[in-house]
Amino acid sequence: MHLKELTLNNYRNYQNISLKFDGGRILFVGRNAQGKTNILESIFLTCTGRSHRTPRDSELIRWEQDSCYVKVLVERRVGYNSIEVFLSLKDKKRIKINGVTIQKLGQLMGHFNAVIFSPEDLRLVKEAPSERRRYMDMEISQMRPQYFYNLQQYNRILAHRNNLLKEMNKNPEAKKMLTVFDEQLSEVGAFIIKQRYEFIESLSKIAREIHARISSGAERLNIKYRPSIRASSLDVGDIRKEFFAALEKNKSEDIQRGSTGVGCHRDDIGFEINGVDVRVFGSQGQQRTVALSLKLSDIELMYRETGEYPVLLLDDVMSELDEWRHRRLFEELGDVQVFVTATDLNSIPPRELEKFHIYEVEEGKVTKR
Amino acid sequence: MDYYIEPIARLISELSKLPGIGNKTAQRLAFYIINMPDEQVGQLASAIAEVKNKIRYCSVCQNITDVNPCRICSNPQRDPSLICVVEDPRDVIAMEKTRDFRGLYHVLHGVISPMNGIGPDDIKIKELIARVSDDTVKEVILATNPDVEGEATAVYISKLLKPIGIKVTRIAHGLPVGGDLEYADEVTLSKALEGRREM
Repeated sequence: MHLKELTLNNYRNYQNISLKFDGGRILFVGRNAQGKTNILESIFLTCTGRSHRTPRDSELIRWEQDSCYVKVLVERRVGYNSIEVFLSLKDKKRIKINGVTIQKLGQLMGHFNAVIFSPEDLRLVKEAPSERRRYMDMEISQMRPQYFYNLQQYNRILAHRNNLLKEMNKNPEAKKMLTVFDEQLSEVGAFIIKQRYEFIESLSKIAREIHARISSGAERLNIKYRPSIRASSLDVGDIRKEFFAALEKNKSEDIQRGSTGVGCHRDDIGFEINGVDVRVFGSQGQQRTVALSLKLSDIELMYRETGEYPVLLLDDVMSELDEWRHRRLFEELGDVQVFVTATDLNSIPPRELEKFHIYEVEEGKVTKR
Repeated sequence: MDYYIEPIARLISELSKLPGIGNKTAQRLAFYIINMPDEQVGQLASAIAEVKNKIRYCSVCQNITDVNPCRICSNPQRDPSLICVVEDPRDVIAMEKTRDFRGLYHVLHGVISPMNGIGPDDIKIKELIARVSDDTVKEVILATNPDVEGEATAVYISKLLKPIGIKVTRIAHGLPVGGDLEYADEVTLSKALEGRREM
């Protein structure tokens, strides 16, 4: 996939810009707080319908305006796709694919795929488990639209269940109802767990190869799914039974706490190098290399799943990686279209820089150099 | 609202409280009403007042009705041993349009939704249990929506009815007629598989 055109209207600090892109290497350069990341954010918005930085759409609308608009034109193997996102303070979010309004956010997934790599991702290995779940959910959703539906349902059932748990002491009927929601939670949860198992398994295989190349064969990376409910097999029926049993077992604790202590919303991912947990024992450099391998694996995995390479968005990570990792990164990328932001042209190795189309960003204006 | 004289402002504000009607539509309707013949306005006003006065809940099925028991419940042609449980009076109309169902209905007027503080006592479940306690009812069909809350309500009711010894069934869910297998999500597909039947 290649992004060919981007139009922004009242988006963050942009009033009205329209950009056309040629080729596979695009660099946005400018001082801090000029709007470089906003461009990458808007591209990501058209992939998933959300910002990678904030869950509140209202923040994306330009100051003192009540709506904004983002449009992209994407070249795919089979032709062109246009995606338009309208955000408004008054109305619901509207998304059009090739001019047709979609009914559910899930329908957007898979039309335009991007992988974003920002300084926060460099810390993914170290962060709280919720960040790693978010990462996992975004990746799987882009490849498997049904996963996104399942996840939405799961969260809804979970909210009902947590509410019931809090009512438990006041309401004698709540106990009977709890079983009802437990059955539903384990049913939908079983699908999510299965999909996560499969995702991490394929990711881990690819990441091992890539990481071995990046570390010149010195490090063996292993990515492990750490589910809150361990399933003995990958059969959805079996997972469902085990999920339900786990909910039963933890019931009294859950009632005391007023929230659900086991389930998909407590899963985690572990990273091991040569058998040692990187999160606990890895150096900062190792954690970064793992994050880099992980993102490169996402790209490769998306290619294997969908038959097309996604677009890579590199937000300000050039200054955080050393020269050795830069070289590795660009070697691995090949034909993948890359959008890079940087404050300084020197942060990109000169030999790579000549392949880039450079755009200067200043106070919401973008000019091609 | 300062542009309008008081009676018009009041009408606009009342109309805009209706679902699907914003300020602009309310204004359009209000000015249309002003130009309507007196007779028609009287008919409209009395129709609105009457609907509130004459409509009540059927003491048997809880559906909205003007006579008690309602026309479906008192129809001798219908099979009283079969009850179809739905969420909402509009679902009764949808079922009636099929002309396939010859049993009676039970309208719950809502679904269990702990998130919104709606429990089994807030909808007409007690009335359903009371109704099936005599021997005429042989089967209860649960036709709540196949979403999280509808499913929970169906499962909850089935847990109450089964011990009484009544046959409880759930309407099939799975692939829509004219649908495409490829676009179905996994939960729907697995439900469709679960509910498959022999040909």
